[in-house]
Amino acid sequence: MTAARTLVAARDLGVHFRLDRHRVLKAVDGISLEVRAGETFGIIGESGSGKTTLGRALVCLEKPSAGQVLHDGADPFALSGRALRQHRRNYQVVFQDPNAALDPRMTILRSVREPLDVAGTLPRAERQALALQMMERVGLSRDFAARYPHELSGGQKQRVCIARVLTLRPSVIVCDEAVAALDVSIQADILNLLAELQREFGLTYIFITHNLGVVAHVSDRIAVMYLGRLVEMGTAEALLARPLHPYTDALLSSEPVALPSHMRPAQRVVLGGELPSPVSPPSGCRFRTRCRFAQDLCAAREPEWREVEPGHWAACHFAGALPATSAGHGTAYTPVPTEALS
Amino acid sequence: MSDPRRDTPPPPLLDVRGLSVFFRSGRGEVQVTREVSFAVAPGETVGLVGESGCGKTVTGLALMGLLPEASSRLEGQILLQGQDLVTMAPGPKRRLRGRRISMIFQEPMSALDPVFTIGQQISETVRAHHDVSRAEARDRAIEALARVGIPEPALRYDAYPHELSGGMRQRAMIAIALVCEPELLIADEPTTALDVTVQAQIVDVLGELCARLGMAMLFITHDLGLLAQTCSRLVTMYAGEVVEEGRVDDILVRPRHPYSSGLLRSLPALTRRKAALPAIPGRVPLRGEMPAGCRFRPRCAHARSGCEAPQALRPVPSAGQARCCRAEALTLPGVLAGEQAA
Repeated sequence: MTAARTLVAARDLGVHFRLDRHRVLKAVDGISLEVRAGETFGIIGESGSGKTTLGRALVCLEKPSAGQVLHDGADPFALSGRALRQHRRNYQVVFQDPNAALDPRMTILRSVREPLDVAGTLPRAERQALALQMMERVGLSRDFAARYPHELSGGQKQRVCIARVLTLRPSVIVCDEAVAALDVSIQADILNLLAELQREFGLTYIFITHNLGVVAHVSDRIAVMYLGRLVEMGTAEALLARPLHPYTDALLSSEPVALPSHMRPAQRVVLGGELPSPVSPPSGCRFRTRCRFAQDLCAAREPEWREVEPGHWAACHFAGALPATSAGHGTAYTPVPTEALS
Repeated sequence: MSDPRRDTPPPPLLDVRGLSVFFRSGRGEVQVTREVSFAVAPGETVGLVGESGCGKTVTGLALMGLLPEASSRLEGQILLQGQDLVTMAPGPKRRLRGRRISMIFQEPMSALDPVFTIGQQISETVRAHHDVSRAEARDRAIEALARVGIPEPALRYDAYPHELSGGMRQRAMIAIALVCEPELLIADEPTTALDVTVQAQIVDVLGELCARLGMAMLFITHDLGLLAQTCSRLVTMYAGEVVEEGRVDDILVRPRHPYSSGLLRSLPALTRRKAALPAIPGRVPLRGEMPAGCRFRPRCAHARSGCEAPQALRPVPSAGQARCCRAEALTLPGVLAGEQAA
């Protein structure tokens, strides 16, 4: 896994939105990360943390205001307009709300075929055949071809969206809260489908979600965002078992777990307050206003983004030296193997 | 947990008996829920869980008397300390809503009136139910804001909903619901629109208020983890029917209905990372296509010949109740591994 090549990289990436003459919203502010071929890279954070903007920037839907996005080592924005459009076909997004993503006046088949029609590289008959093939691959029979989105359930519509992005044979798919609107049993179905497709087509996923259970299940590595910055990044195992940043710790601890009362962790870290405005983030460490361990140093100096353990990064002055308060919360995710049930 | 055991139930505060909701549509009536029965004891927290479309919200609205009279019809009884709300005249029912039963909703922004301040909306509730002066209503409103953990309540009294964050709005809505200290709070997905760290705060506020005011709560949710954390008893609904009822701790370990078991097992946190999730095959039947007999039968791995017969919600020895003729024979997996569950 470590030898896998870097498919998408961000180098000190910033995406800024000018709100008016004086205020700039830095939705993504100085983020560096590398997504490796074939892996599932999870990004978690609360609303307003900038995770969606980061995901969009990684697939060239937002132009960087600072720093760079590299695809396979090259800067896609160095390409001409037409070449960029073609290049972008390799990088697709599945959005949260399939209702908003599908045109209600198009049949399912036409929606699935549309990306191919726009690309216009194949003859019509082949486009048609490919679209039908992808529909079948995601578990939609031919009967669905002539139907309209309103005749489908939420899970089926999300399958249509997945088939639609697969037609272009992308190498990277950003799943932006792709299962958030679905019921748990349907969510399980779609997550299984995404995992199968990843194996079959060698896909790389960037999985953006606020749902810890989901991100913990699917990801190889996880990055945690807070107010436009990464606060922690590491392998899923390490980050869930030994969170280094107090924010990750609090997130893990806030996640309600379906365990009987006597097995639930006795203490939880409940963060006070809410996300400060990203327009004027706190000085120094951005998390310090809600952090239990905040000291004078945290207000004075911004913590460095450093590799605390091999492959495990954090931005906290005290990373690695803080009491393991949520030790045990991570174990709530210790899997109970289904095989053990039989 | 001072859970009363099932064999000595205290007289219920709310006793729902055979409640069916019908919606009138162009061609006649559609039955939305069928003979829903459950009880809530004083001070008890009961979770109502199920996937979208199972009838949990409609049941909540029916309890509050918020379904439009022109287009809906109720059968059965909703007994609030012996008084039947189904047959109660509109006047007395209005006096009861907000004073003895209150409800909070998923979207505080659509439940709050944007043109009145938070404080005005709380005072309005006080003055609707109690003969008090404006000044006293204001004092009570400020007290209610303080109670739900809104900082600087006297200042916030004059804030409009759009000036507050999502978490603060939800607190304001809870303040409105609780200002008259009701005996029962119906909370319909109160934290679904909130971030997980804010959700933890709101859940704490609700739990604290329930304990302090001795208030009972009916917590409607699709999130089993949240339910485990907030409730002592659980009612599972599927396709408009109650399929299981019992103590949360019992059901998590050993569910008695295959649907409850399926819901629990599809939680990503319970499966080994990256392994396929046990999803429930198929989908919830549509209103017009309800299967005869057990409504879960077409999706159930345990269906046998007896399942085509109508199933009654029956007590299961040393457990709650289940609508499954095989409830006693089956050992269904819950959230723990097999050997621990036995």
